[in-house]
Amino acid sequence: MKLDTTGLESFPSLLAPQSDVVGELSAAPSFDLPNSNDVSIQFDGFLKEAIQMVKPAKGTTTLAFIFKEGVMVAADSRASMGGYISSQSVKKIIEINPYMLGTMAGGAADCQFWHRNLGIKTSLLPSFCSSLLHLGIPWLFPYNFVIDIVAAAIVEKEQKKWCRLHELANKRRISVTGASKLLANILYSYRGMGLSVGTMIAGWDETGPGLYYVDSEGGRLKGTRFSVGSGSPYAYGVLDSGYRYDLSIEEAAELARRAIYHATFRDGASGGVASVYYVGPNGWKKLSGDDVGELHYHYYPVTPSTVEQEMVEATGA
Amino acid sequence: MECVFGLVGNGFAIVVADSSAVHSILVHKSNEDKIMVLDSHKLIAASGEPGDRVQFTEYIQKNVALYQFRNGIPLTTAAAANFTRGELATALRKNPYSVNILLAGYDKETGPALYYIDYIATLHKLEKGAFGYGSYFSLSMMDRHYHSGMSVEEAIDLVDKCIMEIRSRLVVAPPNFVIKIVDKDGAREYAWRESVKDTPVPSA
Amino acid sequence: MTKQRANWSPYDNNGGSCVAIAGADYCVIAADTRMSTGYNILTRDYSKISQLYDFPLKLNLDITKVSIVYRAEKCVMASSGFQADVKALQKVLSARHLIYQHQHNKQMSCPAMAQLLSNTLYYKRFFPYYAFNVLGGLDNEGKGCVFTYDAVGSYERVGYSSQGSGSTLIMPFLDNQLKSPSPLLLPVKDAVTPLSESEAVDLVKTVFASATERDIYTGDKVEIVILNGSGIRHEYMDLRKD
Repeated sequence: MKLDTTGLESFPSLLAPQSDVVGELSAAPSFDLPNSNDVSIQFDGFLKEAIQMVKPAKGTTTLAFIFKEGVMVAADSRASMGGYISSQSVKKIIEINPYMLGTMAGGAADCQFWHRNLGIKTSLLPSFCSSLLHLGIPWLFPYNFVIDIVAAAIVEKEQKKWCRLHELANKRRISVTGASKLLANILYSYRGMGLSVGTMIAGWDETGPGLYYVDSEGGRLKGTRFSVGSGSPYAYGVLDSGYRYDLSIEEAAELARRAIYHATFRDGASGGVASVYYVGPNGWKKLSGDDVGELHYHYYPVTPSTVEQEMVEATGA
Repeated sequence: MECVFGLVGNGFAIVVADSSAVHSILVHKSNEDKIMVLDSHKLIAASGEPGDRVQFTEYIQKNVALYQFRNGIPLTTAAAANFTRGELATALRKNPYSVNILLAGYDKETGPALYYIDYIATLHKLEKGAFGYGSYFSLSMMDRHYHSGMSVEEAIDLVDKCIMEIRSRLVVAPPNFVIKIVDKDGAREYAWRESVKDTPVPSA
Repeated sequence: MTKQRANWSPYDNNGGSCVAIAGADYCVIAADTRMSTGYNILTRDYSKISQLYDFPLKLNLDITKVSIVYRAEKCVMASSGFQADVKALQKVLSARHLIYQHQHNKQMSCPAMAQLLSNTLYYKRFFPYYAFNVLGGLDNEGKGCVFTYDAVGSYERVGYSSQGSGSTLIMPFLDNQLKSPSPLLLPVKDAVTPLSESEAVDLVKTVFASATERDIYTGDKVEIVILNGSGIRHEYMDLRKD
C-alpha cells in the first residue's frame, strides 16, 4: 500500500517549481514510514505503541449550532495527558479563514495540522475553481486529488490570465460544504492509521450559514446542532433544552457559553477558558472568552450560609 | 442501532432505512438520509461505518453515471448489483469497506428487483431483505405478512408494521425512518416516519 | 504461518527537563545536562539545547542592517525525550534553516522557526520523533516568546513552559509563580511575565534545584541560555549528582 500524500501538496510549489539545488529537503513533503512492505505489520507493532504514546488524550468540549442570525461556535481550552493537565490555554477554535471556523477535538496535532492545511487550501482553492470553471469542468471541484493533478497543467496554460483569474478568485469563497468535503476526503484517505480528529466546520457562504461534523473515520454530517468531545453529552443537555431557531445573537452566545460552562463543571477533562465565536454574513467574530473558574461564581455567587450546627468536640473515651 | 430493510411488490420495490447518526452513546443527528438515489431507476440503501458508507455509495454512483455517460445506456439493476459486488470483493482483500447494501431497481424488461450485498461481497437476489439489529424483527414480520404481488398500500402497511415492531421491541431503536420507492416512474422518496423532529437546516 | 511481530522498539527515553520563560525583552531557555536510560546514567554533561540560528552571513555589507537582523532573529530549542531522535531533528532543522538563509538572505524569525518545527514533527506523524521540545527566542518586535510542543507537532505560544521528565513537577511551580491571564480571555488582559531578567534566571535555577530533588532523570547541571537585545549569554549551575 502506498500512502496517499496528495492531501499535503500545497499549490504554490506547483506554480513555481523549486530549483534542484535545494534538493530533497524542500521537495513536496510526505510522511515518513518505517521500511517494511506490509503496512499492516507496521501499524501492528511498535508503531502503534509509539503513536499511542505521543498522542494526548481527547478530553474536550466543543459545540456549534445554527440559528436565525448565523452560527455560534464555542469550546473549552483544556488539554490533558491522562490525569495531567498539559495546557489550560489551547485554542480549540481554529480560524480557517475570515468566514470559516473549525473546532478541535481528539489529537491536538492532527487537528491543528489539517486545519492549517485546509486554511492554505481554501485560500488558494477559489482561484483554481475559477480556472476550472473557465474550462467548463466545474464538477471536479469537491475532489481535491483531481484538482491537484489537473490544476498543475491548467495553471501553466492559464498563466497569462492569472491576474484576471486572481481577481475573480477573491470574489468567490469556498463553500462550507466544499471545505468540509475536502477535509473529510483527506481524513478518509488516512483511515485506519491512527489519526484522531472530531471536528466541526462552521461558516458562512453564498447559501448562508453552514455547519458540518467531520471525523477521522471519514464521517461527515450536515446538521444544525453538534457537540463533540468527552464533555459533549453534558453540553448537549444544556444546548438541547435551551435551543430555539429564533434566538438572538446575545441569547445564542449565552446559551453556548452556558453549555460549555456546565460541561466543564461535570467533565474533568474539560476546563480552562470558555471561548464563544459567532459567524455571520460578515465573517466570524470572537464574542467572549471567560475563565470558567470565575464564570462559576458569576453564575452562582457565594452567599454566606447560616451555620446550622456547630461542630462539637468529641468527649474522650 | 442500524435498521435497513426492503421488499419487492407488484411493479415496485421499497427500501427503508433508519436515519440516525450515532457515535457510542450519542445521537449526533436523527435525519440523516441513508438511502441514495443511484440513478433514475435505482436506490441504494447502505448501513455500516459512516465514512465507508458515504465514500463507497458515492463511488458506485459516480461510476454508474460514468458508464451511462460513456455508453449512452444505463446499467440494468442486475449489472449494477454485480458491479457493486465486484468492487466490494476487490476491496475485501486490500482495505475492506464495511458497508452492507440493499440495492433496489426497476428495469423495463425485468420489472422491479431487490439485491442483498453484504460487506464480504455476498450477492443475493431477494424478494425481501434486511440488515442490522432491525433485521431480527423485520425479517420475521416480512416472512409472516409478505406475499408476492403486494400493492403499494399493502407494502407500506407492512413497512409500518416493521417500524412499529422495531420501535417497541428494540432497546436501541432509532426514532426516525425514511422510506423510498422505485417503480416504472423512477426512484423517489416516499415518506418519512418521524417520532423525533430535528430542526431542519433552513435553506437560505 | 503466524505473523512474526517485532518485539523490539526503536525508541528509548533519555529523560531530562527543559524550561523556557519569556519576558518583555528577554527569553530564558534552560535544560539539565543529565542523560539516562532506565536507571543508568549515561552521561552527566550532555547539552539538550541547540541554537537554531547562525551568526549573520557575509551577504549583506550594510553593517547596520546586518546588526538589526542579527538582533531580531534568534531562537533556541531545548529538547528532552529520545536524544537520538532529538539529534536527527536538530540536523533537519539546521539544514532547513541554512536553505532558508541561502534563499532569503536573512535569518528565519522565531515564529517562522516555530511553525517549521511543528510541520517537521507532523511529517513524522506515523513514525514520530520521540522529542519534547520548547522553543524560545525573540520575536520580530524583540519581545520574548516561548513555543511549546507535543511530540507530533501540536504547538502553542505561551509565556513560559516546561517539557520532559520533570515537567509535571516544574509546571505547577511556574503556574504558581508566574500565572498570567490566559491569551484566550476576552476582553484581552496583558500577559507579560512580570519578572526582570535576573529574577527569571534565579527562578529557573530554583525550579531545577527543586525538580532534581524528586525526579531521578533530572540532575547534574543546568545549562541556561539567556537571549536579549544585546546578545546571547550562557550560565551554568551545578545540581545534585545522585
